Amino acid sequence: MAKLDGIELEIMWGNMISIVSEQAKALQRIAFSPIVREAGDLATGLFDVNARMVAQAVTGTPGHINSLAAAAGHLIKVIPPESLYPGDVLITNDPWISAGHFFDITLLTPIFRNDKLIGYCGSTIHHTDIGGYGVGAGARDIHEEGLWIPVMKLYERGEPNETLHNIIRCNVRTPDSIFGDLAAQVSSGKMGGERLNAMCDRYGLENIDDLSEEIISRSESATRDDIRKLPGGTYHGETEFDVPGGELIKLKTELTIDTDKGEITIDFAGSSGPSLSGINVVTAYTHAYSTFAIRSILNPDLPNNAGSLAPIIIKTPKECIVNAQYPSPVNARHVVGMYVPFPILKALAQVVPDKILAEGSGAVWTIQIQGRDRQGKPFTSSMFNYSGGMGARKTKVGLSATCYPTGVAAVPVEVLEASIPIVFTCKELALGTGGKGRYNGGDGQRIGFRMRTGQEWLLNAIPSRLKSQAEGIFGAADGAAGQFLVNGKPSSEAKKVVMQADDVVLMQTPGGGGYGKA
Amino acid sequence: MTRYALAIDIGGTFTDAVLISDGGQGWTDKTLTTHDDLLEGFFKAADMVLVKAGIELNQVNDVITHATTVVTNILIERKGSPTGLITTEGFRDVLYIRDEHRYDMFDPQIEYAEPLITRDFTWSVDERIYADGSVGKEVDPDAVAEIARQLAAKDIVSIAVCFLNSYRNPDNERRFRDILSDIAPDLFVTLSSDVAPQMREYRRTSTTAINAYTVPTTRPYLNALIDKLQEKGVNHEPLIMLSNGGVVGARTAATYPVRMIESGPAAGALVAGFIARKHGIDNLISFDMGGTTAKACIIQGGEPLVIGDFEVDRRYRFKPGSGMPITVPSIDMIEIGAGGGSIARVDSLGLLKVGPDSAGSSPGPACYGQGGTNACVTDADVVLGILDPLNFLGGDMPLDAAAATASVKKLADTLGTSVEDAAHGIFSVVGESMAAAARAHATDRGINYRALPMLAFGGAGPVHACYVAERLDSTQVIYPAMASVLSAFGTLVTPARLDLARGGLCRLSDINWADVKPLIADMLDEGTRALLDAGLDESAAAFEFAADMRYVGQQNEVPVPLSGDPRQSENQGDLRERFNAIYEKLYGLRLDDMDIEVVSWRVTAHGGEAQRAVTVSLPDKEGKPKSHRPVYIENQRIEIPVYDRNTLAAGQNIDGPVIVEERETTAFILPGWNLTVHKDSSLIASRQD
Repeated sequence: MAKLDGIELEIMWGNMISIVSEQAKALQRIAFSPIVREAGDLATGLFDVNARMVAQAVTGTPGHINSLAAAAGHLIKVIPPESLYPGDVLITNDPWISAGHFFDITLLTPIFRNDKLIGYCGSTIHHTDIGGYGVGAGARDIHEEGLWIPVMKLYERGEPNETLHNIIRCNVRTPDSIFGDLAAQVSSGKMGGERLNAMCDRYGLENIDDLSEEIISRSESATRDDIRKLPGGTYHGETEFDVPGGELIKLKTELTIDTDKGEITIDFAGSSGPSLSGINVVTAYTHAYSTFAIRSILNPDLPNNAGSLAPIIIKTPKECIVNAQYPSPVNARHVVGMYVPFPILKALAQVVPDKILAEGSGAVWTIQIQGRDRQGKPFTSSMFNYSGGMGARKTKVGLSATCYPTGVAAVPVEVLEASIPIVFTCKELALGTGGKGRYNGGDGQRIGFRMRTGQEWLLNAIPSRLKSQAEGIFGAADGAAGQFLVNGKPSSEAKKVVMQADDVVLMQTPGGGGYGKA
Repeated sequence: MTRYALAIDIGGTFTDAVLISDGGQGWTDKTLTTHDDLLEGFFKAADMVLVKAGIELNQVNDVITHATTVVTNILIERKGSPTGLITTEGFRDVLYIRDEHRYDMFDPQIEYAEPLITRDFTWSVDERIYADGSVGKEVDPDAVAEIARQLAAKDIVSIAVCFLNSYRNPDNERRFRDILSDIAPDLFVTLSSDVAPQMREYRRTSTTAINAYTVPTTRPYLNALIDKLQEKGVNHEPLIMLSNGGVVGARTAATYPVRMIESGPAAGALVAGFIARKHGIDNLISFDMGGTTAKACIIQGGEPLVIGDFEVDRRYRFKPGSGMPITVPSIDMIEIGAGGGSIARVDSLGLLKVGPDSAGSSPGPACYGQGGTNACVTDADVVLGILDPLNFLGGDMPLDAAAATASVKKLADTLGTSVEDAAHGIFSVVGESMAAAARAHATDRGINYRALPMLAFGGAGPVHACYVAERLDSTQVIYPAMASVLSAFGTLVTPARLDLARGGLCRLSDINWADVKPLIADMLDEGTRALLDAGLDESAAAFEFAADMRYVGQQNEVPVPLSGDPRQSENQGDLRERFNAIYEKLYGLRLDDMDIEVVSWRVTAHGGEAQRAVTVSLPDKEGKPKSHRPVYIENQRIEIPVYDRNTLAAGQNIDGPVIVEERETTAFILPGWNLTVHKDSSLIASRQD
């Protein structure tokens, strides 16, 4: 194939992005996992024959998207290309290979064209259950957290791996939902392969090697060019926040801009050590949120792929909360992971003050409830989540009840009330909780609920920032800290709590920091 | 006695009129939309066609149909009357909190529109309905009286009432309205349990708020229309086009303006269905490309698809999620920022991009000569030779070819290509992006887009349709007659139709038909009344039934058409099988062991097809090319023939490449295609393989 010009490349690239975006949309529509369908907690991507991510759906969360980018390479190190056949589907939920905890299952489908391997189609979605401890940070090591699926073939030459299917079926609480979602992932990978082949037919391509090389090298050099325009040097940022149980976590970054190479290096040396509770973050997930922070500030319009991610290098010390080591528990790693962008933003505030946003409320608060209804039937809610306020921007207020870095939606009150015996007493803005400034931080919200079961129930809540506030920037005030009250009294537990029949929970999510002196 | 039917379509720029007689004669015209008083343009356009036909308004004894942008304008310009929102206590900020979703993950600068009803115009009531429909707390009359006082103090004329779980039990909303109406009888009251009785509080509140906000302006507008028509001797009620692709009487429409938002575009899609049926085509993709956007709609079985929700007034870079959600049925269309005025640029990766930014009509593309310097799609069309700069709008608006070339040359220099190649690049990229959008839209709906015939209209549609058709593996493109007033014509061939939905969550495994029956009966009543208001005989009323279903544990429903009234068969096995079949078609999956649940029941009430048509007489003698001009195709300039559409005879056959010009548009047929003239005067291009 002749060298592609900017016109042909745009057309074929657009085609590949539409292939993965359509898959992501379909997966989201049909998912059983509520956090996928309501919140878009999933990622789909197309990879070249060298397992480099070429195109990615324009949906999802940072944690999944950038983890998936790296996962394909890890998978084919374990099961190399020469042992792959048409009809194969690879699977894993290994936290260190995939997206940082067992709930996230990654599937990778090799794509063949005229019997030759030309690439891969991958997806990661957050499943409803994976056995073990369930949602929350209370497990003491990773083995308590659920079923560990090493890199394996879920399908081989189109035939299901019955042994693996049986193992999964016996080790999860909601096998119907898990297999429903796995089936959707398998079908999505198959469709992606068919669509890529159809595109190759349309443009007379034997493979996507040249296309992929062109896309990746252009993305990489555009990213390096953008970095070269920044003032070189080393900048520091630091953020502190409290997690369930009251533990105080510090994240420190040293951000170095190398204008010769067009590279940014982020070093987390000096950050808190490992935690005993399940909030440790594997490096793949740290990498995901770090690269996200840089990309969203530097050039949010640039497509995300192996090329645009390459010039951002992440370093984590060995004994560190953002470099989890076996057998540390990692289940609730998002609590820390969603704060990872903040020290980076604070370092970037010295570089591109116009483009950054102030610290926000951080991680979304997640909740799961278990109990028995009035008829005695047991129920387990899905995980549901609520946002605090976002940090203010140079010329705009922070959005209220909206999260950055993730952007997940909340499950509607009516949907939750129809699915479990819960009654919400309020869900309204906590006015004035955003930090005052030239532009105010976004406000948090107040959410109250009780159960209609007439008996004990179990609460598993993961709030954060109950003491430490989101810092205002350039002279603006901090956002208010959050509150977690049971019957009016503050409560902060890292574990599941037994609640009484009439207990009332009232949460106030934190406000975001302001921007600039008022 | 001759029967006449009149249609008026008020759009953003033009007000179009179509008058047809039962003898098959037709008259059309258009005038500029009069934004200060839309009815002024309505009657001006009407007069223009009436004069042509030599009749008076009171001789229009068949229907008068109307599509209008009035509701959309009120929303986008935020010029509704003071409106209040009443919520359940503790949930007053539902329009501010939305669904907490940041719709563009990578862009930290995103914005949302200010809520239609602000916090200082919101009141809450200490009442509660539980998810099972039981009443936790009734509405206190004293609290209603207090709210009534405060509403009056703020001169509020309309309110939206949306209580939690009212989709399950409307009693508290109704009680609130009844008490309030005794105190303030002139207040417009919209209940969420009437306008959108479906689960999910944010979307339902948004829909209710939009209705309450637009009703005080829309109802007087439609009443004034009825009155003015009566003054002029027309005693039958005008019919209004709704977003779902049906017409209802103006009085019915006035209660629920939220159902009228996509009035004009829906009429365009309707006519596509009409043309498909006339040509004996089951499935078709309509492609309407104008100045700033292109719209595509899929016709299946001769009918456009209808969906249950959509979004209006996208505030941030046209992005999905930045607008206001509406849960009422609407024709299922995609709209993308690709029109004649879409701007081309080279991005930081050296890639050629087209749109969604548009030069609009002012300054417009460079070739408009109004000071625009950005290369737009129309500029590329001029450089390529597809458009004749001296024949734009029949020569009324000459284009500046030199300015077009200069604008494209800047891009060519950046890309390192010739001016012609850059222009052809713009032509290809915009074509590919429209094809990609259409493919995604079709795939999303489980439809195989390959080989679907295409219907091209709008000012820029016929210029680009053939290329887009090739990208979609389509082998036929139809260029209809009356393309420039097609939407107005669409309202005349539209049956009366009302789509209704009622939430009623239940599992198929333990469905209680006694709960379902009143929901269906209620919808049949409402539908029948609307058809009678539209002047239909009760015997002409037909009903279709559907259920929104999903596997238990899922959150998104799939609409499933049923074979008949589900109350008669009470057959859950049939519901199960229908859902499984549709689900498999959509997603390539079937989960036979899973339980299924119904989320909502739907009833569509409609009258029979409106039998109206225009017969045209075409020249007997085959037309000859009026000229030849060099067009840049496949890396070279080729002299191709140019025909005047009016000179083409029925059955005339021309090989592509060829250009056919008419006043408002130009059809460009690529090499490898063949053009024939249908006896109804449409042009049909077919791929020769």
